[in-house]
Amino acid sequence: MPDNKLITLPEAVRRYTWDGMQYASGAALPVGSDAIAFGRELLRQKRRDLHGIFHCNTQQLNLLAAAGAVTRAECGFSGLEGFGFANGLRRAVEQGRLALEDYSNLSIPLRLLGGALNWPFVPATVNIGSDLSYRSAFEPDSYPNRNKIPLVTDPFSGQQIGALSPLRPDLAAIHVTFADAEGNAIMLGTEWSRFELSRAAKRVILLADAIVHQDCMRQYPNLVRIPGVIVEAVVYWPFTAWPQASPGMYDVDETHMKAMNKALGSEEGTLDYLRDYVESYVDVDSYLDLIGREKVAELSNGATRFLADPYRRWLLPHADAVALSAEATA
Amino acid sequence: MSTDYTRQEMMAIATGREIRDGELAIFGVGLSMIAGYFAQANHAPNVRAMTEGGVYGATPIGGMPWGIECNRLAVNAVSFTNALDALGCLVASGRCDVGIIGAAQVDKFGNVNTTGIWDGEIGDTFRPPKTRLTGAGGANDIASGAKRFLIMVSHEAKRFVDKVSYISSPGYLDGGNARHDIGLIGGGPSAIITTLGVLRPHPRTREFQLDAYFAFSSVEEILASTGWDLKVAPDVRLVPEPTAQELATLRRIDEGGMLRRA
Repeated sequence: MPDNKLITLPEAVRRYTWDGMQYASGAALPVGSDAIAFGRELLRQKRRDLHGIFHCNTQQLNLLAAAGAVTRAECGFSGLEGFGFANGLRRAVEQGRLALEDYSNLSIPLRLLGGALNWPFVPATVNIGSDLSYRSAFEPDSYPNRNKIPLVTDPFSGQQIGALSPLRPDLAAIHVTFADAEGNAIMLGTEWSRFELSRAAKRVILLADAIVHQDCMRQYPNLVRIPGVIVEAVVYWPFTAWPQASPGMYDVDETHMKAMNKALGSEEGTLDYLRDYVESYVDVDSYLDLIGREKVAELSNGATRFLADPYRRWLLPHADAVALSAEATA
Repeated sequence: MSTDYTRQEMMAIATGREIRDGELAIFGVGLSMIAGYFAQANHAPNVRAMTEGGVYGATPIGGMPWGIECNRLAVNAVSFTNALDALGCLVASGRCDVGIIGAAQVDKFGNVNTTGIWDGEIGDTFRPPKTRLTGAGGANDIASGAKRFLIMVSHEAKRFVDKVSYISSPGYLDGGNARHDIGLIGGGPSAIITTLGVLRPHPRTREFQLDAYFAFSSVEEILASTGWDLKVAPDVRLVPEPTAQELATLRRIDEGGMLRRA
């Protein structure tokens, strides 16, 4: 019997987070595979002054920023793709409540790779020459900034090159499609930067849409890009990324995406959202009730459902996964 | 004058025409994806398209994707990898032939701002913008590394500025050889395609000049809609109007009618 690393979501946040920590999350671009359920729990437990590392902004960072829980953030992209600007993040930046340090969608994973390999810096041919190098929200008075992405000399060619600083977040909460109880995980869809993130972070928590028997991992070991040996704990949370998508499992909830972003555009709307969609459930089942069982069924029946077919025979029934989580938490 | 297509449609078709068959190409979400997939469906069937998330071999179904990770793209991909692979190994490395990016503001050297709008110059202290935009995303990496890239932007004077207040994605920086001197690998922007016409860089100074106008626009309208003293190429020309086939193909790609709302 493998180790059982399944714990409840509240327990994971109690054990592994603290005010002022460097917290990394977000997964596959702004509207997919984001461990936002973890962010909701951070707010339920009133975590403050977080330093967010989000490859891209997601609805999670949008929400945390709107609620005032994040005071510093580093991102490659800060919109919501087809859903427009991220109103909560935008408001926090414009009001000066959140210092947003801009990078690009390649420089963030390069920095995570640097952290993962424990390199002193990562050479870069991107971000140089642009204001991503010269402007720093963390050092606003230094212009042109020479510390954020300094130029160094390539010892082989003698050419100038940018030096990116490595990232080593205190914690990464990572969304995965399937995990076993030991923390071996399979991601459907693009990995985005979850591989590097899982190696760069000091601690890793997985949020899995479904728990599978370990035989699944033994059948597809090549697809297990996050092995249990680097994982502290696993949280079973169906619809972890909702209202965002998880390929193979559920489609984006377009109505909620829009309504949520609209709400986060104002102080009042944010308070309503927190009351209705953050404070209003007590466990996984009441969370799914909140989404609506009909909506859950509809979103689960999307065009990419077939991607999950090869794995279905190993899925643990919902009640068993919940019971395992309770057992390890107790 | 009246036409049976919109300015946005003309911009997408003119952008698509810049993509050649067999090229390794990277598209973002929205307009640039429509233009890219239009090219693939219309005249460049062997374009090797990818997204910055590392989604390969996919063609959108059920409308334009709302994101790179959208189920409308994930539904028929042949490979899912990651950003280090797509934006790093294939783009920043210098392998990618062409990328398409958008802009909130662009300047005469093709530098792009998608980060924020400040009232006036930013100055020596990096204060928050009046309006925060979406940031650089993968566009900085495409602009830094792709052999060439195309910029799609709505042609308005407030967007076409002498110097952008913030360079999110590098064009030719201060012009001339500035890109090369700082160490950027990619070739820079080969065209700015707008809702009124096409601008291309002068081969030496790299300052963008008016290369062509659309049937519904004019040199005068373009000059009036550009916030810098735009030079006009001596052989400025008219861009051929969309053919019936091009329009039909574009509208199949843009089945949600995103380009027809304007």
